[in-house]
Amino acid sequence: MDCVVTGGNVKVLAKAIHSLSRIGDELYVEPQEDALALRSVNSSRSAYACFLFAPLFFSRYTIPSGHAFRCKMAIKSVQAVFRSLASLEKTVEKCHIELDKQKSRLTFTLHCKHGLLKTHNLSFQDSESLQAVFDKDSCANVFRAQPRLLVDTVVHFPPSLEEVTVAVSDERMWVRNHVDEEAEQSKAMLTELCLASDEFDHFAVGAHNSVTFCLKELRGLLVFAESTGLPISMYFDEPGSPVVLSVTDSVLEGDFVLATLSDDPNHRKNNSRRAHTPPPPPPDDFMNDDIDAYLIAMDTSIAPGPSATGPPTPSLARSTFSKQPAAANHKTRIHSEEEEEEEEEDEKADLDRPPNKKFCSLFFGSVLPPSSQMSTQPVTSQEVLASDSEDDT
Amino acid sequence: MKFRGKIIDVACLNHFTRVITTISKLTKMCVLRLTPDNLFFVLSGKVANGGVSMWCELSQANFFDEYQMEGVSSEDNEICLEVTPENLSRALKTVQNAKAVKVKLTKKHCPCLTIAAELPTLSSASRVVTHDVPVDVIPRRLWHEFKEPNMPDFDVSIYLPPLKTMKNIVDRMKNLSNFLVIEANLNGEMNLKIETDLVSVTTHFKDLGNPPWGDDASQDGGASQSRDPEAMVEARVDIRRLQQFLMGQQVNPSKAMCNIVHQRVVHLILLHEDVSLQYFIPAVA
Amino acid sequence: MLECQNGNQAVVEETSLLMIFVTFNLSIIALFALPSLCQPNILVTCLHFSATMPLSTQSQADEEQYVFVASLDNARNLSNILKAITFKDHAIFSATPNGLKVTVEDSKCLQANAFIQADIFQEFTIREDLVGFQVNLTVLLDCLNIFGGSTVPGVSTALRMCYKGYGYPLTLFLEEGGVVTVCKINTQEPEEPIDFEFCSSNVTNKVILQSESLKEPFSELDMTSEVLQITMSPSQPYFRLSTFGNSGNAHYDYPKDSDMVELFKCTKTQTNRYKMSLLKPSTKALALSCKVSVRTDSRGFLSLQYLVRNDDGQICFVEYYCCPDEEVE
Repeated sequence: MDCVVTGGNVKVLAKAIHSLSRIGDELYVEPQEDALALRSVNSSRSAYACFLFAPLFFSRYTIPSGHAFRCKMAIKSVQAVFRSLASLEKTVEKCHIELDKQKSRLTFTLHCKHGLLKTHNLSFQDSESLQAVFDKDSCANVFRAQPRLLVDTVVHFPPSLEEVTVAVSDERMWVRNHVDEEAEQSKAMLTELCLASDEFDHFAVGAHNSVTFCLKELRGLLVFAESTGLPISMYFDEPGSPVVLSVTDSVLEGDFVLATLSDDPNHRKNNSRRAHTPPPPPPDDFMNDDIDAYLIAMDTSIAPGPSATGPPTPSLARSTFSKQPAAANHKTRIHSEEEEEEEEEDEKADLDRPPNKKFCSLFFGSVLPPSSQMSTQPVTSQEVLASDSEDDT
Repeated sequence: MKFRGKIIDVACLNHFTRVITTISKLTKMCVLRLTPDNLFFVLSGKVANGGVSMWCELSQANFFDEYQMEGVSSEDNEICLEVTPENLSRALKTVQNAKAVKVKLTKKHCPCLTIAAELPTLSSASRVVTHDVPVDVIPRRLWHEFKEPNMPDFDVSIYLPPLKTMKNIVDRMKNLSNFLVIEANLNGEMNLKIETDLVSVTTHFKDLGNPPWGDDASQDGGASQSRDPEAMVEARVDIRRLQQFLMGQQVNPSKAMCNIVHQRVVHLILLHEDVSLQYFIPAVA
Repeated sequence: MLECQNGNQAVVEETSLLMIFVTFNLSIIALFALPSLCQPNILVTCLHFSATMPLSTQSQADEEQYVFVASLDNARNLSNILKAITFKDHAIFSATPNGLKVTVEDSKCLQANAFIQADIFQEFTIREDLVGFQVNLTVLLDCLNIFGGSTVPGVSTALRMCYKGYGYPLTLFLEEGGVVTVCKINTQEPEEPIDFEFCSSNVTNKVILQSESLKEPFSELDMTSEVLQITMSPSQPYFRLSTFGNSGNAHYDYPKDSDMVELFKCTKTQTNRYKMSLLKPSTKALALSCKVSVRTDSRGFLSLQYLVRNDDGQICFVEYYCCPDEEVE
């Protein structure tokens, strides 16, 4: 393999590697006849990303003929090659990527200003082909938007937020933060953004579904999309099946495939409060002047001043709200006990369920026969079911 | 109990956000009292917060274009909520360019202050964001804990130097020591001092001026008049508390004052248009 | 009695220090043979300390007790250059009539010196041939920046630094915008700095580069590599920095005719390794400097000399000496 990238494309390559680093710890490199594939997957296999750079992206693209070659390496070490991202455009004139199979080394040579030559010899391991199984074209819901729209959307959510839920109707998309049932719901701030369909370049809804996925990877792709100015397409179907985020132009294609939370029926009841039923009021109602009444049946009587003797009785409000954390603690109890409780505390039932947040992992062909095709066809191979991304460290 | 307010003016929104952000730097939790004319953010000195108290008063008319509220009853026309100012600040910060922002008390999964904003877009439709910030409603019978603190019977009252200058100095002193002695006299002089095994540092401010408090104020005419204008009164405080106060300053106050009760408490007061912020730091031995 | 002893000792030390200073200055002038750069700037003294300082109340007798007094209109001119050598708390101050030398050392293998010549100061009074003391550098820097170390033009902290002698604290009077801060930093008896015996006659290879060209490579050094290997050679690769990290190795090559290379004088191929952890602090000096001279002697010792320009355009020098890593070869 012997590739040369020049000019602004060096930065595009660097940004792609940086956004892949948001996914996993390893970079899978596979030079194919039709494209150089760079891929990454997270440890729980619930997020996968792939960039394909067409031969035209390079000013030279030669790959070993005959047998296919694949390798993986620490993504950090590749990131280090392009560490000075900000000045990359100004300083790097040419990037040469060369494979030395004998020494098991992938060499990145950066030809920089003032004749400075930076040579990084990176060791790699042979690897299986990494391929996620997804079919974005069969997705019921397809959207395309300028990166700015999504950047302006995610800015409303704190950097620490892990997951967002996206819900759609024919006319609108709602993005809200996903609150873990285990978290004290009463203390979590809920944010919801409503986007009208005409803010999108393309807005096609086939199923009124909502999906929940990790924000981290989306932010990673946004960094890439923003710097290249490429619109982002989003494809999804139903809870549990992956959401695909894509960027494409004539010489490159990036697909981020993210697992979504499965829609546990037990879960639905609880979620429905926010996620399914009452659809948020349309924006037109924003200015309506109905005062939002809020009445709490609570202690509004005028009590005598502080009592000097005896502990103060807890207020009704406090005792009401303190129930939630208490209920949350019960989750660790064994099931039979819970059932009893459910009978006792009917209306709290949904809170007492065991944690059921679960990202379906993506189906991967772990070991594939060498195939030059970037397949999106289902492949029979070991299926890995992993829990959510919290398993990552 | 009902509350709804609307801010349209960008400058008001910006100012309101800065006030809330200032408060969020001072405390994780505080009490918001809503009355027909004012909003109060209150922190009452408990051991959990280092004995620090805060009282911030805003005139609603200065911020809100619309403001409607109904308290728990006609004779107690107030609403008292426990809030996390950091959440409010974060919500407000993301809607700085909004065409209009509504703040309302709502019943969602729990009582919430809902901040709803209409954001500008390139398309014809508007983009709406809502932040539901959970609050706890404080029952009437606990309200007495959140009354305006009394003006302490201070020994010296002095105007503060520019807060930015003070912040720089206190930040450096924090690197060197955990405690700071603040001392001042009736001659407009104030010193900030630290002392450790390695170093002693004293910053001298002069010509700061002493605010004229009326006879009814607690700077009792008798004591302070007889006080030697050169004599310093002092309080040793946890430097983090002072740093916190200075760090949070997003509002450039028109007046900043400090009252010291010798070896008891430092009472800081910021006045800016219709916002006033009082902050009490207890002295340590 | 104590002071007297100190004084005697100082006379002995002074000659060697002077030597260092003189040779250093000579070599520096030779190194950076750009006379226009070295011309002292015309300074406008905008502050009269005695007038604004509360110390104006100090009696003449007090003033006379000081063995060392130095003042600066802009404390950043001292604090900045001290930042370039801050990697350990202990700093040895040696003042001679020529100026001030501040030395910081690490594990007998690394030494950094900052030189601030006497004429950088608006006042530089020294009543002995050599005044030496040791202070905590981190504390000193916090004191020098007590007003925030503003970079706003026209706003600067004025400094007066006084020392009465052995057993006394180093006293700093700082003033900005009419506010005065007095700092008393405890001092210790100075330790003898290590003599690295690096002399120009033993220099095998020397390269002078514009600092700009080294800043990026130093900022992206692979910190998983235990060493930084420096190769200097009359033939290819001329000047090479190499690291050997967990996931591979990296080489940064500078051609000898690069427009970033101001002088290239290599007599024989030399490859030496230096502990990364020791060299990393020199990045701070690099960041402040405009030129750097990289030299190695026949023993493989490394000297890095940095030419630093202060806010007023005056020139100061920072020098790092480093022993080669012995585990090599």
